[in-house]
Amino acid sequence: MLHASTTRIAAVAAGLVVAGGVAQGDSHGITIGYAGGFTGYLAPYDQPSLNGVQLALDQINEAGGIMGMPVELVVKDTRSDTAQAAVVAQELIEEGVVAMIVSCDVDPAVASGVMAQAAEIPSASSCASTPSLPAAVGPYMFSNYTADNLQGAVLAEYARGQGYENAYILLSRDTPYTEKLPEYFGEAFEAMGGTVVAVGEYTMGQQDFSAEVTNIGGLDPSPDVIQTSAYEPDFPAFIKQLRAAGIDTPVLGSDGIDSPTTFALGDVAEGVVFSNAGFASPGSALEAFEMAYEAKYGTPNDTVFTATGYDLMMVIAAAIEAAGSTDGPAIRDAWDNLENVQVATGSITYKDQNRVPVRVVALNQVSGGERVHVGDFSPDPSMIPAP
Amino acid sequence: MDILIQQFVNALSLGGTYALLALGLAMVFSVLGLINFAHGDLMTLTGYTMFFAIGAGLGLPLAVVLGIACATLAAVAMERVAFRPVRDANTATMLLTSLAVSTILHMLFQNLISARPRAIPVPSWMIGAVDVGGLAIGVIQLMSITATALLLIALSIFLRRSILGIAMRAAALDFPVTRLMGINANAVVATAFGLSGLLAGVAGVLWLAQRGSVDPLMGFLPVLKAFIAVVLGGLGSLAGAVVGGFALAFIEVFLRAFLPDGWLPFRESITLTLVIVLLLVRPEGLIGRRENVR
Amino acid sequence: MSSGPEHLLDVAGLEVRYGAIEAIRGAGLEVCKGEIVTLLGANGAGKSSFLNAVMGLVPLAAGRVALDGEDITGETPEAVVRRGMTLCPEGRRVFANLTVRENLAIGGATRRRAGDAATILADMLDRFPVLAERHDQMAGTLSGGEQQMLAIARAMMSAPRIVLLDEPSLGLAPRVVDTIFEMIVALQHHGATILLVEQNVDLALDIADRGYVLASGRVALSGPASELQASGEVERAYMGRD
Ligand SMILES: Nc1ncnc2c1ncn2[C@@H]1O[C@H](COP(=O)(O)OP(=O)(O)OP(=O)(O)O)[C@@H](O)[C@H]1O
Ligand SMILES: [Mg+2]
Repeated sequence: MLHASTTRIAAVAAGLVVAGGVAQGDSHGITIGYAGGFTGYLAPYDQPSLNGVQLALDQINEAGGIMGMPVELVVKDTRSDTAQAAVVAQELIEEGVVAMIVSCDVDPAVASGVMAQAAEIPSASSCASTPSLPAAVGPYMFSNYTADNLQGAVLAEYARGQGYENAYILLSRDTPYTEKLPEYFGEAFEAMGGTVVAVGEYTMGQQDFSAEVTNIGGLDPSPDVIQTSAYEPDFPAFIKQLRAAGIDTPVLGSDGIDSPTTFALGDVAEGVVFSNAGFASPGSALEAFEMAYEAKYGTPNDTVFTATGYDLMMVIAAAIEAAGSTDGPAIRDAWDNLENVQVATGSITYKDQNRVPVRVVALNQVSGGERVHVGDFSPDPSMIPAP
Repeated sequence: MDILIQQFVNALSLGGTYALLALGLAMVFSVLGLINFAHGDLMTLTGYTMFFAIGAGLGLPLAVVLGIACATLAAVAMERVAFRPVRDANTATMLLTSLAVSTILHMLFQNLISARPRAIPVPSWMIGAVDVGGLAIGVIQLMSITATALLLIALSIFLRRSILGIAMRAAALDFPVTRLMGINANAVVATAFGLSGLLAGVAGVLWLAQRGSVDPLMGFLPVLKAFIAVVLGGLGSLAGAVVGGFALAFIEVFLRAFLPDGWLPFRESITLTLVIVLLLVRPEGLIGRRENVR
Repeated sequence: MSSGPEHLLDVAGLEVRYGAIEAIRGAGLEVCKGEIVTLLGANGAGKSSFLNAVMGLVPLAAGRVALDGEDITGETPEAVVRRGMTLCPEGRRVFANLTVRENLAIGGATRRRAGDAATILADMLDRFPVLAERHDQMAGTLSGGEQQMLAIARAMMSAPRIVLLDEPSLGLAPRVVDTIFEMIVALQHHGATILLVEQNVDLALDIADRGYVLASGRVALSGPASELQASGEVERAYMGRD
């Protein structure tokens, strides 16, 4: 951990990290840029993503690079600031990057993405999950992470499969993720014949859910299932207060709660089902990734954002390789036609998906403080709510 | 009716945490005229201390004690290192110093510990509820209300009975004249910071028991709430900070509980509007410091 | 202690600046044990600045302050108070939201270790009976005269060897001023040493042993109170000679 930390401090101080050691401008190197929020509120997502990207980069360079050329990564910190995200993207473009990874959150991702779009350089957000993001920027912007509508549909399908009729959803309009995912869930749940009996709202960080919990307790009909995309610190606070009030309605969460905190919650989290980007079953690529991660960083991986960062780097490599060129438009076209790229979390397909990839959604259940695999799902596209 | 009482208890418990935080903020403000934006980071420090203490197998009770002690000492150290050199500077300089301290702490937490949250397991008995006359009161809520009440009583005894306590109230009114009483300015300021750290530590434990994890930025929101509470209660008034904390919690909880569904998205704006209206009616805050009668 | 005039307070060459403003430009005075010495001067002459600098409340640009022969130049106000000199500030500045009892208690903060705080308190309540009556009242609710008595009593609670009084007559009705001045004289009879800043020249010279007149930051005139009163030069000095 300390090793990674010192690198990061150096990264912050110097504004860039150079991996691979081949300077840009050298016709033998390929440069990829990462404009991420490595400090500030996005650090919990972009820092692990960066670790995954760097692991992928090591493996790619060890295997001879892309098209036989070594790959170098230029990292710039946006400080989680939207204006800075645009500035930093422009700097990366001037340094000649051929593809760009941008922040995990929609607003800075758009700010960086439009700069890349204007320069005809393909870009993708490390882990923004809003499905409308690529369309909002243009043909050079891609999604990487499991989209909210995809997760919502998978959760709805699971809920209906369990025979749940009435659902309560708890959302926060503070971020598109915490607002839209539950709404996609509700939409899919009702399309599949269920009823959303009530919608609760919270403010991220509010800690106190007593008012909402008291309201849920008074609902008639009482819900069979509760869905929320709240994550820590809100999710633990909510579920503790829910269970403390004696309400034992099943709870469905999404990938935001895939965190050690959830598994440390004890009894209250028992039985919670949540979706995420993959389950590391024995022999899977994800398990191999986890092992490689621990070997490189000396600490076990504790979030899926490392794996999805790794995946994204692999996707970029596949796109350049397929394009056979470092030309922006050529990479973009190749990227848009990628099919079944093998990555840490399974496989990813971009072909015919309007730059929002189809990738596996895994359902997991919290059981005795451990994660149990419920299954991997790829819902019928007709059941996925439109962005 | 039952639901009304239940929500009342809910607000009381949340208000306790707000009150402790606001009181700490007000204490430092009253002696230095400084809103210490690094106040919330003391809670974060409590969290990380608890995280490492539990990780080292020290057990929860010791972790709690260490967490609170660490926040207290850190507050005193913060004053000594960061604020004492700029004590005679203008308000803006001190404010910027506190923002700088806060930012530096965030950077240290993010880079030396982790940007990702760290889990703080809470024993399952804390998660249950006790039945009090038909009301389900969460154990954490009960602990929060009790801790707040005990701490406020102890503090009020300290502020009324001890010379240092009276000196702190005097310093809030007129710092130079307090020094003319032979009271050591550094001792008063250090005590104010120490107490604010203690209060932040206790509030931190209560806050952490609810949220189950600590992350580098967790102190930001609470300090914002505490700031609103302090302004609402009346800048510079200790009693005002407590009243402001409870008032804010009551407004928040009752809006969330009883606003019609369509209005829910506006609850934060309604809360702030209510606060502003209250301040328009009473610019000096709910318990503002009245102008000295001369 | 030897008999004869001995300087309890000795100030020499004092200079105070507020940025570009030179409030005190090299002033000094002496106060002997048991004396009432008055420091007179027009508005803005620098009287308060002088006292505040002597107490360490404002930094001095130059000069030397000695208390009973010991150099205390540059010490903090709290240290000066502990050495036995205190100031009853201009405008009274009682702690309005503290009770009379609390105001007095904090005034005696330095006597708690000595253990005589209770004795001094009893003495003060005896001397200012109105404070005993208003013991649990907020100081801010007292009348101006009562607040001035409280401010003086609060200062005396530290059992000072010398007390500096800054315009105790400020804003008070003549009858109340008389009462206050009688109390100041009574304090002297009980052994107190007093440096009294005043604008009320006649009253001050009436009760003082010696006087100094400050004009434009310098001592323009000094001498025994009776001579100053008789000479009529005080008025001229007031106009300032700079
Ligand atoms: N804090 C300060 N900053 C700047 N100038 C000051 C300050 N305090 C006093 N002065 C200036 O210093 C000069 C002396 O002021 P000071 O208050 O000492 O006079 P004074 O003799 O006590 O007057 P008064 O009789 O009105 O109380 C004045 O010109 C005043 O404006
Ligand atoms: Mg004056």
